[in-house]
Amino acid sequence: MYVYLYDNFLRKGKYESLVKSMENRLTDFGIAGKIIRLQNLTNAQEIVEDEVRKGAQTIVIVGNDTTFGHVLSRAASAEVVFGFLPVGPDNAIAEILGIPSGEEACEVLSRRRKVKLDVGWVNNRYFVSRLVVEPAEISIVYDEKFKVFSEPGKRLELVVCNLMPYISEEKKEKIVIHPQDGKLEAFLRPVVRKNMFKVLYEEASVFPFEEMVVSGNRAFTVEADGKKSKETKIKIKLAKKKVEMVVGKNRYF
Amino acid sequence: MFQRPSPNIALGANENNIITRADEVETVVGPSVHVEGDFSSEGNIIVKGTVSGNVKTSRVLNVEEGAKIFANVRANDAVISGEVKGDVKVGEKLELTSTARIAGDIDCKVLVVEAGALIHGKITMKGIEMPEKAEKRDVKRGLGFGGKSRLSIEDTDLASATIE
Repeated sequence: MYVYLYDNFLRKGKYESLVKSMENRLTDFGIAGKIIRLQNLTNAQEIVEDEVRKGAQTIVIVGNDTTFGHVLSRAASAEVVFGFLPVGPDNAIAEILGIPSGEEACEVLSRRRKVKLDVGWVNNRYFVSRLVVEPAEISIVYDEKFKVFSEPGKRLELVVCNLMPYISEEKKEKIVIHPQDGKLEAFLRPVVRKNMFKVLYEEASVFPFEEMVVSGNRAFTVEADGKKSKETKIKIKLAKKKVEMVVGKNRYF
Repeated sequence: MFQRPSPNIALGANENNIITRADEVETVVGPSVHVEGDFSSEGNIIVKGTVSGNVKTSRVLNVEEGAKIFANVRANDAVISGEVKGDVKVGEKLELTSTARIAGDIDCKVLVVEAGALIHGKITMKGIEMPEKAEKRDVKRGLGFGGKSRLSIEDTDLASATIE
């Protein structure tokens, strides 16, 4: 049984015809199912667990990167296969997973090519796309083995990528991380200077890791899958092969 | 009015320049970043900053000009243009460029030294067996090459390399 979790933005008129045609394709493939519309305050974990209890075998997220992160950051621990139907802009994750946008995604879903993906774990919740620590005076201990820090007074920005690619502004590259290699990737950039228009960074350091502890003397801002919080210490861990996901053959890994 | 600095800023700007870090996990220590403690990786390592602790990789280590490592180094292959204060043990080929500064013993299979590189330490190379007598004699003379191997240098001007 398939259950579809629709993002709230799909109510907008401009997506009406696309969503309708996708629903028709799903019916053609014989994989249509129950539709649940997510609200901003919806607890995705409760919904997914409830539907799994009722017999759902595949939970399909319909929306964009934000929808994907919102659902999986809470529901990654559920013992169910996840699918994804990307709609509209902001769909970098779908590209990595080899899922085309719109109607064609229904065909990928119907083929049920499943893989298990690594996800990140930070302060008692999962993150699937990316975690960002905004520039701050922080130090990082990797895998309890070595400590990384910058020169005194220099702030560091930390980006931990999983499914969301990392954009290297210096090298003009988009770096896609392998979500099955048993490592998360940390990109660390010291701030050189900040002017009115832009923050300038030094070249990024890159550390693959399984566990790291980030700490600062003052609270720093952490954004994981779009959710922001202020912390003085966070522990980031890898949860190996946590999520089973339907992917396309054109995936990047 | 102005866009906030974010890793998303350039998303989509260079769609064609996509790098997949699938097979080769690479660790990079940036120019003003300091690493303290034993530092190991299963992939290639590029050091541009400072590392105070042992560095170990089963693949290629690249120590760039201006980079400093204050401990022992182990790698399968290595190219050193920076400073290492510690022993360097390389399974295959060690390449020292003109800006390399090594204060420690070197152990490798193939050594390439560019003119201008500085070495202060004992060099031991695999691949040659010397009779025990000759070994003892060498030690007595204080040649300090480990006694059982010889130095092989490719494409270099040895006269400029300082070997003590």
